[in-house]
Amino acid sequence: MKQYLLFILMILPGLSFADEIKGIVYAKEGNGKQPLPGVNIYWEGSTQGTTSVADGSFSIGQKNNQHMLVFSFVGYEKQVVHVHEMGALEVVLEPNLEIEEVKVVKKNRGTYLSTINPIQVENISSAELHKAACCNLAESFETNPSVDLSYSDAITGAKQIKLLGLDGTYSLMQIENMPNLRGLATASGLTYIPGPWMESIQVSKGAASVVNGYDAIAGQINAELKKPDSDEKLFLNLYGNIDGRLEYNGNGNIRLKGDTLTTGIFVHGHDLSKRNDHNHDGFLDEPLSKMFQVANRWKYNNQNGFMAQAYVNFLTEERLGGQKEVDWNMQPSVNNPFGVNIKNDRIDAFLKSGYTFNNGKSAIAWLSNFSRHETESYYGLTPYNADETRFYANAVLTHDLDAYARHILNTGASFVYDDFNEAIYDQNIERTEKVPGLFAEYTFKPNPNLTLMAGLRTDFHNLFGTFVTPRMHFRYHFADHFTIRTSAGKGYRTANVLSENVYLLSSSRPLQWTDDVMQEEAWNYGFAFIQNYTLLGRELTLNAEFFRTSFDSQLIVDRETSPDYVMLTPLQGTSFANSLQFDVRWQPIERLDLLLAYRINNIKQTIGGELVDKPLTNDYKGLINLNYTTNLKKWMFDYTVQFNGGGRIPEYPGEVSAGGLAFDPYVVMNAQVTKYFRYWSVYFGSENLGDFKQSHPIQGADNPFGPNFDATKVWGPVMGRKVYLGLRFNLNYE
Amino acid sequence: MKKLLILTIVLLAGFATHPLYAQKKGNKVVCFKSNMDCSDCEKTLSEYLKFEKGVKDLKVDHVSNTIMVEYKEGKSSDENMAKAVEKKGYKAEKISQEEYKKIVAHAKEAGHDHDHEQHQEREHK
Repeated sequence: MKQYLLFILMILPGLSFADEIKGIVYAKEGNGKQPLPGVNIYWEGSTQGTTSVADGSFSIGQKNNQHMLVFSFVGYEKQVVHVHEMGALEVVLEPNLEIEEVKVVKKNRGTYLSTINPIQVENISSAELHKAACCNLAESFETNPSVDLSYSDAITGAKQIKLLGLDGTYSLMQIENMPNLRGLATASGLTYIPGPWMESIQVSKGAASVVNGYDAIAGQINAELKKPDSDEKLFLNLYGNIDGRLEYNGNGNIRLKGDTLTTGIFVHGHDLSKRNDHNHDGFLDEPLSKMFQVANRWKYNNQNGFMAQAYVNFLTEERLGGQKEVDWNMQPSVNNPFGVNIKNDRIDAFLKSGYTFNNGKSAIAWLSNFSRHETESYYGLTPYNADETRFYANAVLTHDLDAYARHILNTGASFVYDDFNEAIYDQNIERTEKVPGLFAEYTFKPNPNLTLMAGLRTDFHNLFGTFVTPRMHFRYHFADHFTIRTSAGKGYRTANVLSENVYLLSSSRPLQWTDDVMQEEAWNYGFAFIQNYTLLGRELTLNAEFFRTSFDSQLIVDRETSPDYVMLTPLQGTSFANSLQFDVRWQPIERLDLLLAYRINNIKQTIGGELVDKPLTNDYKGLINLNYTTNLKKWMFDYTVQFNGGGRIPEYPGEVSAGGLAFDPYVVMNAQVTKYFRYWSVYFGSENLGDFKQSHPIQGADNPFGPNFDATKVWGPVMGRKVYLGLRFNLNYE
Repeated sequence: MKKLLILTIVLLAGFATHPLYAQKKGNKVVCFKSNMDCSDCEKTLSEYLKFEKGVKDLKVDHVSNTIMVEYKEGKSSDENMAKAVEKKGYKAEKISQEEYKKIVAHAKEAGHDHDHEQHQEREHK
């Protein structure tokens, strides 16, 4: 997986030849570089061009008005170099074998917006991942303005994210550009990716590229894991917090054959054995938990256009929540304390490879992954057991239609196989999804300022029939400081009615559902306006964006109509989500990064025949993030404050409710200090510094087997202030 | 909410006048000519040198092949700095600050301003 767009420019002083520019083009391969023949080299806005020869060298005539030299090669990021009068050029192209999802890495910048990608993408780099305690993927969004993180209930400790105000299930979750963490992993999958294993995260909003599938409705979140051919030799991390959570992460890379064959080993373990009940409601604030994970990753790169990667991961975890007196070995019974016990075993693997053809105009990529997931659990008195076997494959052919990469065509085919077995309320539910699909995507890039991308895919679903997914993206950098982006597209999703809503079992009302599987369908439209200025010598970015998602078909969680059941029913009527966001990024003083963001959510669903606000959803979110590093980055200080808006609390007729019908806005703050040493760094911080907690997260806590019990009406933090201390050790290859 | 944002901006802008790059008293500057040949070497050396005892500021540049270290007097010495550079396998030929400035200025004059980030910004716009 190489998807960088780091412009490493090396312009070496050398002999000058009047009116002729000479140089060598290299391909970045791991940590080294290889001469790259066949690269298209031309003056921007002209047809005057040449190609590099076998040793990567080239020469091209230069006229007076020609300054911007373009280097393009399929499978590599295009590069534009400002050429001065003299000197030989050395240009290093970054591979981009797996198309789309462009990442722009810039030193010491945490999160930023790309202005070159036609899709609105926020990149969270490893620098940003260091800003938060960041135990896992879920928690890495704490400093992010676009992604909201909340508890799904007050017992299981499962966290869910929201993008554009819509539940995480409407975003396509990916690991290394392949769909993952769905189905049975929906509820707690975000905690399955340890923070220290990740290299970066890309959050794209709105319709995503059709190459990745038909699923992305609200957007797409991709986590990139650390690469075995990176500089890192050994990384160790220890973390502990005041509530008794201990965590260990480690990974190491071994270069078996230089940059050609490399392997990486990853380990994660955590344990929480301390019983915390800070709000004295008799229930554990977070479940006891233990997890162990080990992974191995391989990469082969022949440094001549072919690359293959393989990965396998084993995970086992168990959680026990509920009343303080719960026991790991107890049987669910009204004579025992109320407990929720969840046991997950999972194996994950992927295989992907890419090949760039010698003519430099075509590249082919293969992406496939496999997972097997087994869950054994009970929620109070209700057992829920399930297993899932999933396979995904995607083959993509990228082809430049002309010499200057102005017209690019991606075509390919994909296949999804998903086999589900669930057992709940003495019912066995089985189903198998088989979805072959075909897609084509055309990109028109007449100049660096304009990109138009149009994609279409057709999928042949064994349960839902054939359906078509059109999507369109447009980016135009129309004046010095201004870039606009628009997107429109259709998205579909298979709602796994039970596995995605299993946390609702932490309530006295049983679930009632119309179908155990259904297809959701929505349109998404987006518009963004980005301005870049230089203010007091430092870059200022202003972003304004609006996204609308409108559902044609949706699974509705109705907790308000029936006093006897929580109903999972298909939408009858209107459902939409509008999200309007503004953000400002600037360095008011040297090395102090400031992010101000404000988003208004307007999310409405037809529930029980009435169009109402989606319950337990904040109507706005404000965020201020400050990051300061001392000169040479020996110290780093971070401070984040989130202003969360109020919202609606669901209630059925006649419910004896503790919290009322609405909740008020609240503020959550996080802070962290990091001290860097040559091989070590130590970080110390606190989550929820202001110690704000939802006052009664569990309704009817005094009688958990009674009719009024509900632990799923959670809108705010369940955990209060959490002070932590961590240690990182890092050794690099040189 | 809005007022709070404005207040924050105003406060932060107030700090913006903070004097930068001023060489503090009690600090000593030493410059070297070296033989790095790639940006990775520059990074490696820079990451290593910044954690030498007493180092307050640092400029490592592989294009002009120069190193400038500012350190707290008494905490370290020019020799220690040279040793640290050599330990990583690079030459450390001590030069005067004037020579250093000249070399750096010359490298820039040749029209090869080697700031990655500036280049990157230019291309993105």
